[in-house]
Amino acid sequence: MLSMKNISKVFKTDLVETHALREFNLEVNEGEFVAVTGPSGSGKTTFLNIAGLLEGFTQGDYFLDGVNISNLSDNKSAAIRNEKIGFIFQGFNLIPDLNLAENVEVPLRYRGFNAKERKRRVQHALEQVGLAARMKHLPSQLSGGQQQRVAIARALAGEPRFLLADEPTGNLDSMMARQVMELLEEINKAGTTIIMVTHDPELARRAQRNIQIVDGQVCDFTMYQGGERTIEKPHLVTGSQEPSNQDKVAS
Amino acid sequence: MFFYYLDLAWRSIKKTPFLSLLMVLAISIGIGITITTLNIYQMASINPAGERSSKLFEVRLWSQGIDTWSRLNQQITYQDGFNLRKSPVPVRQTPMFMTGFAVQTDDPEFTPVLENARVTDRDFFGLFSVPFLYGGAWDKQVDSEPAYQVVISEELNKQVFAGENSVGKTLYLNRKPYQIVGVTKTWNPSPKYYDVNNGAFNDAEKIFVPYSLAPTEEYQSWGNNQSWRNEPMDTYAQRLASEAHWNQYWVELDNPEQIRAYEEWLANYIEQQKLLGRFEMPDAKAEIADVAQWLKVNKVVPEDNKILVGLSALFLIVCLVNMLGLLLAKFLKRAPEIGVRRAIGASQTQIFSQHMVEVGLIGFCGGVLGLLWAWGSLSLLSAHFELEDALTQLGYSMWVLAPSIAIIAALLAGIYPAWRICSTNPSVHLKSQ
Amino acid sequence: MLQIKPILSTLMRNKSGPILLLIQIILSVSIVANASFIISERIDLMSRDSGLAESEVFDFRVYNFNPETDYGAQNGRDMTTLRNLPGVIGATSTSMTPLSGGGWMSVFTLGESEETAKETEGAAIYYGDEQMLKTLGVKLIAGRNFFEEEILQGSPNQANLGIVSQAFAKATWGDEPAVGQVFYAADFGQEPVEIIGVVETLQGAWVNNSSLENSVILNVELAFPFTKFLVRAEEGTLAQLKEAIPAALHRDNRERVVSGFKLISEHRKSAYRNHELMATVLSMMVILLLLITSLGLAGMVMFNIERRTKQIGTRRALGAKKRDIISFFLVENYIICIVGGVIGALVAVQLGQQLMSLYSLPQLELIYPLSTVAGLIVLTTIAVILPARKAARISPAIATRSV
Repeated sequence: MLSMKNISKVFKTDLVETHALREFNLEVNEGEFVAVTGPSGSGKTTFLNIAGLLEGFTQGDYFLDGVNISNLSDNKSAAIRNEKIGFIFQGFNLIPDLNLAENVEVPLRYRGFNAKERKRRVQHALEQVGLAARMKHLPSQLSGGQQQRVAIARALAGEPRFLLADEPTGNLDSMMARQVMELLEEINKAGTTIIMVTHDPELARRAQRNIQIVDGQVCDFTMYQGGERTIEKPHLVTGSQEPSNQDKVAS
Repeated sequence: MFFYYLDLAWRSIKKTPFLSLLMVLAISIGIGITITTLNIYQMASINPAGERSSKLFEVRLWSQGIDTWSRLNQQITYQDGFNLRKSPVPVRQTPMFMTGFAVQTDDPEFTPVLENARVTDRDFFGLFSVPFLYGGAWDKQVDSEPAYQVVISEELNKQVFAGENSVGKTLYLNRKPYQIVGVTKTWNPSPKYYDVNNGAFNDAEKIFVPYSLAPTEEYQSWGNNQSWRNEPMDTYAQRLASEAHWNQYWVELDNPEQIRAYEEWLANYIEQQKLLGRFEMPDAKAEIADVAQWLKVNKVVPEDNKILVGLSALFLIVCLVNMLGLLLAKFLKRAPEIGVRRAIGASQTQIFSQHMVEVGLIGFCGGVLGLLWAWGSLSLLSAHFELEDALTQLGYSMWVLAPSIAIIAALLAGIYPAWRICSTNPSVHLKSQ
Repeated sequence: MLQIKPILSTLMRNKSGPILLLIQIILSVSIVANASFIISERIDLMSRDSGLAESEVFDFRVYNFNPETDYGAQNGRDMTTLRNLPGVIGATSTSMTPLSGGGWMSVFTLGESEETAKETEGAAIYYGDEQMLKTLGVKLIAGRNFFEEEILQGSPNQANLGIVSQAFAKATWGDEPAVGQVFYAADFGQEPVEIIGVVETLQGAWVNNSSLENSVILNVELAFPFTKFLVRAEEGTLAQLKEAIPAALHRDNRERVVSGFKLISEHRKSAYRNHELMATVLSMMVILLLLITSLGLAGMVMFNIERRTKQIGTRRALGAKKRDIISFFLVENYIICIVGGVIGALVAVQLGQQLMSLYSLPQLELIYPLSTVAGLIVLTTIAVILPARKAARISPAIATRSV
């Protein structure tokens, strides 16, 4: 699914060269849930930006879903981001002027779906996160947890194969953090590969696999840690369940 | 996608109403000023001959003596006007000059009115494509065998005959009876290119009489008269034989061969006149100018006008730079949102387009508002300065031109800010703010 | 103490904003300097004194269309009729009307012999009688007026006495007294005219002509079918006289058209219309330009304040006084304004050169770009102080807040 070989990234300014990643190697298989930890400044974010095609890299090879990513044009990489990758940020990064439906619709717009298809997908995605009833609300009218769920819906709307989450629970209290985490696990269960950067060991432990980045390199590599995690909700929340119920749980 | 961008643009404009208003105002004022000056300029520089412009030529002759005028004069002498008519080359040709009459009718109660008139040949009407309401021009024969016939304008026909078909009726010009042979349909080229000597934006004459009548009727020249030497001009015969310039001459030439042939004919004419002791300059020459060149030669467009257009173009640039700054500020403030859009899969092209649509929308609003300013300022100017209506009417082309200039200008101003915003690395703005 | 260095480094770091402002100022200065120069030049033109009682003098024309008319005798009777009308102070036939844009103009010949003969500058020629001076309201400063019996009738080339404007006298004879001099209305030796008087000011017909101030009055009452009359009447009587004059003239002879009544002040308005138009449009442009530039400046300052809210809070927390914050913004913009002003002034002079070479404009005077820059500094102060005072009110506590 994702394969990085000897990736390095150097930031240059007039005075200094900073090696954000050096000879970075990582293989992630389809359907995995990978947690990435590491001290701040270790290169976690750089890794995520490169993995998400938001930044180029200085050296090495990167294959995503069999496609060679090095030297892709901006249009191509935008298309890949749009179709294959979903992003979830610590700060939610919802567009404040757009209501929930419009926020979720954004990636679909860029994909060029027609109005009907967009509507269907927005509806579906918001149902998945249990916020279909609040479609017309503005982000500012929601709690942090709800906002993050909208962000997840936005990431899901394009039905990506691959979800990148950067401290998705960093701005949430523990209760909301748990809910978001559960949601991610459900999504993973349904087949989406997830890479999550976090500095919370508690959360990291819930992933199938943990990697640690130190000084721009993969340092620790744990496969199938434990392997016997319990999954509290065995299925995805779907439209068949009452959204209003979900609302209450979330708020 | 365009409508999505339009929707986003509209939201963005609404979100920062003050800033947006400032930008729309800036561009609209720039457009308003530019369109105002451009309109006056364009109206002054319009070529009223249209597609016939390149077939109609004004003739100028270097008939002045040594050490007098240093350039070709706009007019020619009567004797040259009379002689040039003998050329077989032009398709149509006519000499002319301006005079005027006290106009009376059979009705003794009618108070005489003073009207400008043009003394010319039959070809005048064909040459300048003058449309007729009733009747037509006098016969070709009249040009050599004078007859008291007259063509009047629709306006005078309304004034004198209440708009009825007056062909065949009698009109008294300076007490002499003339038979009306034609009534022209409203015809008022602006600039009045066939004679720019006497106010380039004056109205066309309302009366046309045969040139062949001039020696008998002794029509006075009401236009400019230019002399380069002192000579007696007490009698009309002296005036006709003088070297004073008070006639104009136009020819119609259909193709380059004709033009060449006519130029040759003129050269021969000058040689022949030299033998008679006229055209004293050794390199005396003739020159013909088509309508476009003619308007240029006569500087029909005032210099002031050009300065104004130039300064207002600079003004527009200031407005654009102003807008560029504001746009840059506005767009960069939105960088985080754009980061998200980029991460979600918007390409640089799409972000760029989104912003260009927004800028274009601002430009369009500015253009429409600018058109309003232009209309307002033109009406104000025309009310205050009694400018000729021809100059202050907002031309139809301006309705298209104003928004187009506004949009293009805005897009130009928007390129840099839009490029800045679409080329910033999205990841910078994605970390928690 | 103002610290220019950190301000400069801030400016250098965010190049695009200041550069744009700079460009705007450069362009504004060059436009405003040239425009205000043209405006003042036009105002100077328009404020030239015609030397006449402009709101009392009007002209009109009579066209005698019966060719059997004895034009000279007719004009004589008409003049008597006019002078006897109530309200009329003076009346004369004339060849032209001052400032009307149409009339007679010629050069004359001077000299002792045919070989040394030379031409004078061009001068407007007024043919009229002894009432001309009174009618126009011009002031005789040397010599005398025509006597009634000196007035001739008919053709213009019989003129033998002239009254000239001071400007023409000076241009022709320098400091020598003009009275008693002779020039020839045709070639040397032909049609001599003796100067008998000088009037202080009398302008010609074409306001854009360089010899506008050169005028000559000659002692002939013209006898043509077309006659122009100048009438001086008590102010405000024109409306009545417009009716009374044609009626009175028609009583004498119906076969004429009497039309075209226009006060000199109206002629002046039409004559200077284009200049006034130019000055008006340019003034409009200058005002709007200054408005836009200052709004743009204020907008940029506001944007900068918003962007630097936290920085300003931090400065305040570190002990900066409100005054320091305001002066920071002021100095920042003064730097841009002065740099822009200096470059703008240079560009303005260049633009002036271009305009001068392309069109008939005089050389731009330096005072215009300089005063434009001065004005711009005042404007900058206003445009900056208003938003900057808002910035100074930012609470130092902002610095400690993280979001």
